[in-house]
Amino acid sequence: MRGYIVKRLLNMIPIMFVVSIVIFLFIHMIPGDPARLLAGHQATFEEVELLKEQMGLNNSYIVQYKDFMVGMLTGNWGNSLKTGLPVGDMVIPRMKPTLILAIFTIVWSVISGIAIGIISAINRGKWIDYVVMIGASSGISLPLFWLGLMLMQIFSVQLGWFPTTGIDGLKSYVLPSITLGAGITAMIARYTRSSMIEILKENYIRTSRAKGLSEFIVVNRHALRNSLIDVITIVGLQFGFLLAGSVLVETVFAIPGLGRLLIDSILFRDYTVVQTVLLIFTFQFLIINLIVDVLYGVFNPKIKYE
Amino acid sequence: MRKWIALILVMTVLVLTGCSNEDQIALDQSNEPVANSQSSEGNDKSMVIAVNAEIISLDPHNISDTLSRSATNTMYESLLEHNNSMELEECLAERYEISEDGLEYTFYIRQGIEFHDGTALNAEAVKYNFDRVTDEEKNLRRRRNFLQVESTEVIDEYVLKIYLKAPFAPMLDRVASLSIISPKALEEYGDRGIITNPVGTGPYVYKEWVTGDRLVVIKNQNYWRSGPQIETLTIKPILENGARIAMLQTGEADFIYPMPTEQVNIVANDANIEVIEGMSTIARFTFINTSKDFYSDVRVRQAMNYAIDKEAYTNVVRSGYSTPLSSHVPASIKYHVPQPLYEYNLEKAKQLMAEAGYPDGFKTHIWAPNDTENMRGMEFVSQQLAQIGIEAEVIPMEEGTLSNSIYSAQTPEESTVHMWYVSWSAFDFDGATNSLFHSRNIPPTAPNVSYYRNPVADELIDLGSTEVNSIKRAGIYSELQEIIWEDAPWLFLGSDVLLSAKRTTTEGISVGPGGAINSREASTSK
Amino acid sequence: MKVNTEIKKKQEDYKFESPMIELSRKFLKKKVATVSFFFILFLIILAIFQPTPYDISQTDYSNTLSKPSAEHWFGTDEYGRDIFSRIVYGTKLSLTVAIVGVTVGAVIGSILGLIAGYYRGIPEMIIMRTCDVLLAFPGLLLAIGIVAIIGPGLINVVIAIAIYGIPNFTRIIRSSTLAIKELLYVEASQSIGVSDLRLLFKHIFPGTVPALIVSYTMRLGTAIITAASLSFLGFGASPSNPDWGAMLSSGRNYIGIAPHMLFYPGLAIFLTVLGFNLLGDGLRDTLDPKLD
Repeated sequence: MRGYIVKRLLNMIPIMFVVSIVIFLFIHMIPGDPARLLAGHQATFEEVELLKEQMGLNNSYIVQYKDFMVGMLTGNWGNSLKTGLPVGDMVIPRMKPTLILAIFTIVWSVISGIAIGIISAINRGKWIDYVVMIGASSGISLPLFWLGLMLMQIFSVQLGWFPTTGIDGLKSYVLPSITLGAGITAMIARYTRSSMIEILKENYIRTSRAKGLSEFIVVNRHALRNSLIDVITIVGLQFGFLLAGSVLVETVFAIPGLGRLLIDSILFRDYTVVQTVLLIFTFQFLIINLIVDVLYGVFNPKIKYE
Repeated sequence: MRKWIALILVMTVLVLTGCSNEDQIALDQSNEPVANSQSSEGNDKSMVIAVNAEIISLDPHNISDTLSRSATNTMYESLLEHNNSMELEECLAERYEISEDGLEYTFYIRQGIEFHDGTALNAEAVKYNFDRVTDEEKNLRRRRNFLQVESTEVIDEYVLKIYLKAPFAPMLDRVASLSIISPKALEEYGDRGIITNPVGTGPYVYKEWVTGDRLVVIKNQNYWRSGPQIETLTIKPILENGARIAMLQTGEADFIYPMPTEQVNIVANDANIEVIEGMSTIARFTFINTSKDFYSDVRVRQAMNYAIDKEAYTNVVRSGYSTPLSSHVPASIKYHVPQPLYEYNLEKAKQLMAEAGYPDGFKTHIWAPNDTENMRGMEFVSQQLAQIGIEAEVIPMEEGTLSNSIYSAQTPEESTVHMWYVSWSAFDFDGATNSLFHSRNIPPTAPNVSYYRNPVADELIDLGSTEVNSIKRAGIYSELQEIIWEDAPWLFLGSDVLLSAKRTTTEGISVGPGGAINSREASTSK
Repeated sequence: MKVNTEIKKKQEDYKFESPMIELSRKFLKKKVATVSFFFILFLIILAIFQPTPYDISQTDYSNTLSKPSAEHWFGTDEYGRDIFSRIVYGTKLSLTVAIVGVTVGAVIGSILGLIAGYYRGIPEMIIMRTCDVLLAFPGLLLAIGIVAIIGPGLINVVIAIAIYGIPNFTRIIRSSTLAIKELLYVEASQSIGVSDLRLLFKHIFPGTVPALIVSYTMRLGTAIITAASLSFLGFGASPSNPDWGAMLSSGRNYIGIAPHMLFYPGLAIFLTVLGFNLLGDGLRDTLDPKLD
């Protein structure tokens, strides 16, 4: 087990290298010229050409890639092509809002997802099961941006309960995290429901029931504990969804997070920022993935680690 | 095995709770000042302006977008400035003189003004700025405005002379575009450091800039003229139209620009909100690539102009907030002469198409940026052209792809653009004409995307830009407008009515015709 | 004797009720899923026959943004076009984009997943690490990147949806392949020298089908949402196509002024995606014997 983890961690080094090349090629494949975008349509040809030179865009790809990697490894991430600010100054402040949003979202959607899943599982086939599960599925069936705009209209503009946009205080995160978590709640509810249904049929649960333990204890002590294990592995996989969703939610609610920074930077062909943010995403994803894989193995001994 | 699980779970929980606790504290702290200022009701001296794009930079010499200009204008000032009627007024200069031959400009700088860092404003400081912006090595964005400058000379402590290489008619407008930065700050922070350490003479002093979130400036206590009546001003980029309006409705924003035209009716019913209309220098049109077969015939281009219902354009695309474009420059630009509109006449259009040899029209495509308003305009144009058989596929493109597709063509033959629905804004006639119509400015040099090449027009453009006598200049530009209008290298569509909106408690914030926000005299009664 | 006849009887029952029919019966018992199934069927019929009362590109500038009425059931849009007709027509576009995109993704993803799960070793490592890389970019970002590279347009949205679906299918198919491979009969077949290809497609692939069907159905829903999100960010289909996402995206400018422009395309997306999701849930319950 420990060996497996060490091996996977070591594996990450070549993966990150490959990814860095993929990222580099990927963003340079997108047609567009940051120099022209920065200079605007009113710029002259000479101005754009000189700017290109100054941005180092006339260097060969190999030199540009080398600069990028050396910069990454030595901690000198370079300057944003768009604002001229150091990349670190642009990226690091953006992590906090995205992180807070992610944590809020995960916490509330795990709690409500599990609750919905349990209610639905112990009432399997009854009307309450249908109502709750259709309700949960609705969350995943709405375009996020649409849901966000609606929530803002109702709870900010009409009722005035929450700020419309921004990150002034924790209250600002309520509507964005509801929007972002709706889909995750639905997914967790589904997994909880099916794993609960499965577990409730297991022998030891029957035994506990036979022993005369109350249904509440049976469900909460025994069944829930076991189904949580499945759920945790699912949560890890939701991070990708979370990041994609954060792009939309951050746009709607004007949250200065990583998702929006990435989109803006792609639109602006701000290569230095895009490269850095994508590498951060990749690294984070690999780590989460590793944890998930390990947990899979832990809970499902049928799969062997080699 | 179990230990591992336990360990991972515990660590996850620790990380999660640890983070949230920390954040909670941090957020609560940052929340405090807001709470304080709100508790003293009726005395809130902070204001928020919500805008639709992000500030790119705070170095006023190195920006080319209007919003960054709005942002830097809170802290910086120029020798001259445009008022909201587009007239030039003295600002940091008390007065100026222009030599007979139009080659020497003398500026008398106002005395007793200090930069935010205490440095005195004098001719030396202004020269330092001119030298910086004209420095070829530095290649700053604003340099393009001063290509005609030969040199600058300090005559006296408060007198500066600018020498030009050749007479250049829009020179004063260009001088008005140059913000004066404290030379001491430039020395101290350098060309990159000045971005986040802005020091000017303006009505506000820099507090903080969180990219993508907000720019906060506070009142300049030592401002040299009547300034803001508020303590802090925040500029926030809120890209989503609905969210920006929501902020105004809830009072989180005191002023928004732009006010989306479609939504005016909603806020019109709100007693706390006022919509402000203003004239603009923004022209909306469609380039027609005259180097392409069917578009090389002027009759086709005129037919297309006759096929556009300008009134419907105003109503459908701009919800009524537009005026038909009556020349290639909007009416707000000096020297504008209205031309007889291409009236909406399908019969005439079809007849011209038949004469040109395209009675059944042809297939083509039209490009536009991929935001909803531009896409709406482009789609409208396509619908109108369909009436005379021109089948124009609408292709939305994001800005990066669009400009790449346009400027990567090295010759007219290589160009892939057919039509490009776009808007343009400039302060002076030359700025609204030269790069769009002069034959030397076809891509990849500059955006004459119509590939318009008319030697007579070229000559008039050159003449106009060097003619200092304004009567003669008006004559030249009048002739030029007629020629371009007749040649129809564009679909002439409309000029925006500029819309912004404010809470009724807000005073002293306005938007100039170019779309720059002026908040010098901001005050609030909230 | 008695035991024998009982077994025989059971076998006859089994023959009589082919697994397909049995599953259908089981499925039909699930009311929600059945309703969803018929709703999707209804959508497909709409998409094929397109009973649009008006020409979808017929404009009427004197009748823009009008509220739903007897004449225009869902009202008109900013150009005075009939929204009902456009939504009906949009069914075809949205379903086609989703079905083509997801199917291509599923086919490629399944093949890769089978290879990875069956052969293990180096092919698995390469495939799975590539998936990791692809999955590291959240789906929407990947789609944006792809559209940015190959340009805008409906077909490119399809390609983007296909590509970003691949790693998900690969993962799912690989893990069910792994589980099936552990089963005894596969080892037995292997030991008697059945060819790899035959083993893969005769024995292993059928075992992965339930998982495949379920996630395929769910993915269709996700694809529709993704297409809509792309439109929201300006990377979607051309605005003249009555794609639901494009309608929703341009309709959001009229929120409050003409709510029907936002409501009906939103409803169409919502019901369709919900239909796919509930259908997927029902299929999972039906196909997963453990849940019986």
